[in-house]
Amino acid sequence: MSRKPVKGEYIETDTGNKVSRKAILIGTQHIMLGGKTVIQAEAMIRGDLARTGQAVSGSAAAPGSNTAVAIGRYCYLSKGCCLRPPGRIYKGTFTFLPLRLGDHVFIGEGTVVQAATIGSHVYIGQNVVVGEFSIIKDYVRVLEGAVIPPNMVIPSFSIVAGQPARVIGEVPEGGHEAFELRELYKTVGNNPQPLPV
Amino acid sequence: MCAIRFAAHDVSPRSLSPYTVPTASLRSEVVVSRQKGTGPLAVQSLETAPEPSLLTAESASAAPPSGPWILACSYCNWNSAEIGVKFDKPQGIFSQLSKLRHGEDHSKHSSAGDVSPKKGDAVPESTSARFAAMKSFYNAQNNTNSPNSSSLSNLMDYGLSSPGALTRIMNLYSGNNIGGLGKPKAKSSIMREADSASEGFRVADLDESAAISKLRREGYGGTVTNGQTKLQVEEGARFADELWPIPYLLRTKRSKRCPVCRHIISKPESKVGNTRWRIRLVANNSIPSISIKPLNPASSTPGTSDLLVPLQPAQFLLTFKNPMFEEIKVTLATPATTPGRFASRVTVLCPEFHIDANTDTDMYLEDVLKDGEKGAGRKRGDESTSQQAEAGKIWERGRNWVSIVVEVIPASIRAELGQGALKEDEDILEIPMLIRLEWEGDVSQDQVGTTAGKEKDTREKKELAYWCAIGIGRISQE
Repeated sequence: MSRKPVKGEYIETDTGNKVSRKAILIGTQHIMLGGKTVIQAEAMIRGDLARTGQAVSGSAAAPGSNTAVAIGRYCYLSKGCCLRPPGRIYKGTFTFLPLRLGDHVFIGEGTVVQAATIGSHVYIGQNVVVGEFSIIKDYVRVLEGAVIPPNMVIPSFSIVAGQPARVIGEVPEGGHEAFELRELYKTVGNNPQPLPV
Repeated sequence: MCAIRFAAHDVSPRSLSPYTVPTASLRSEVVVSRQKGTGPLAVQSLETAPEPSLLTAESASAAPPSGPWILACSYCNWNSAEIGVKFDKPQGIFSQLSKLRHGEDHSKHSSAGDVSPKKGDAVPESTSARFAAMKSFYNAQNNTNSPNSSSLSNLMDYGLSSPGALTRIMNLYSGNNIGGLGKPKAKSSIMREADSASEGFRVADLDESAAISKLRREGYGGTVTNGQTKLQVEEGARFADELWPIPYLLRTKRSKRCPVCRHIISKPESKVGNTRWRIRLVANNSIPSISIKPLNPASSTPGTSDLLVPLQPAQFLLTFKNPMFEEIKVTLATPATTPGRFASRVTVLCPEFHIDANTDTDMYLEDVLKDGEKGAGRKRGDESTSQQAEAGKIWERGRNWVSIVVEVIPASIRAELGQGALKEDEDILEIPMLIRLEWEGDVSQDQVGTTAGKEKDTREKKELAYWCAIGIGRISQE
């Protein structure tokens, strides 16, 4: 009891993930974090919605083989967002399918993500709904309040907004650095650094 | 590189999602169509027609679902069965659609040049088909008109990229074709205009009574919106039920070249799915970066909003960071009041300053450490004396950055909102700022006009000026 560490707001793992103690992670055995990912308070990841059906094939399946949510490096899940694997009827039974996030994905406050795949360097603003089985490619900016309909595919370098969401613009060549989340990663945690000048 | 690709991975048909089908067979197209009623256009995706036998695939080794297929929007629940569009297979939607529309393969029309007017007995309907028919008709007319290639048609060729263009122009001037000048006059009467539908001719339908009565019947809701007309130019739809699913324009890969020095500025990787760039020279990397933050963040007590209080002076720190390896002199200029309906007052306390050069990256770490110590020491010292923003003096200086103070007095929106409602984002306070940079750099080698052979050590004065807008925040509407 004497070696009890001082509790910070975040749990920092060896791989550099910073997970808020107030984050709601369900079914953690089905959640894969790539490292250096920030999960803020009240962010919810529904790892319990893992694929069903083929789980019978070998009871000693390797851990992580049935991933529900896979997150890359330097992702940032803001307060109150929700990652929820998409589900549908497959071969006669309803099943959930994995939700994959690339690297440097920012998810704004109150956003619900039910995409199939989100690429790398994607910025999703506040209060966005990303519909089931939508696919977002790399370097995409989703403006706040957008509603991305299910099954929509958003090509790379798009700026997306509206209800329903539509491509309204293009990310210029000079705008790529803005998607980097390394600096933002350093500003949270138990000993946050200020943003460099 | 600049080809518009009409291919792959843009929408996944629902029953062909990446989970059920190898990606190689996933060739489908996004189709934009109308939303029911006056609503906006919606992005569609492919779906099988809701037939009960398909929805309840019984065995695990069931055959892949077969058609008919429809386009369906999962946002507004519109589907293409409503306008009677169904597909036999989930691939090649574009050609299937144009077949449905025009009764023939669209690709025949796109390769228009050699289609003779005889071949297209079917009356061309779409604009592009009529254009192709008309073009081939007039081509034929031109050919029959000038079998011995008169000097007139020769003249048309001159502008084209012919290697012998210059010699031919010289021939023109040397009077070789003086004799030829008389010829074209004699035979210009043979040419005729297109006059039948197979030649691309269409009589304008001046009887609008059907359209007018339809407009009466269906009202404003039955017409297309402005946005829809813009998207569906070729379809020429005027009523909502004439709208047609059209393909989504895919992104093109473009490279850019500097107009002055001909350097390639940006060049993307040529592979379709790759988002990397082979060359990407961005101006942002060679002009000072600007960041902005409130001078006294502590003063805003938690609970109060981030909105700017009208008519109350607020001070902000503008930090300029120099990425260049030369010391630069910065001159700033702003209008005294911001443009627009709500004029806020702006004062830049120090509009002229120097920023030290950026240093090489291998010395970077050392510098940062030194810099950190220095900065910390000064900051601590400042706290005791409670630094005041002074006109003409910079606030803080680092290795390659300088902070200055900008004071704004936000306009009162309520006081000036006499004439009409607040438009979208009109309450945002933005400062237009002219930034002028001066520095001494190496004589650039890449400029077109510079004569080679000058000594390389010479330095020249360079300057650069540009406008930018600095967003401060929203003004409270109290």
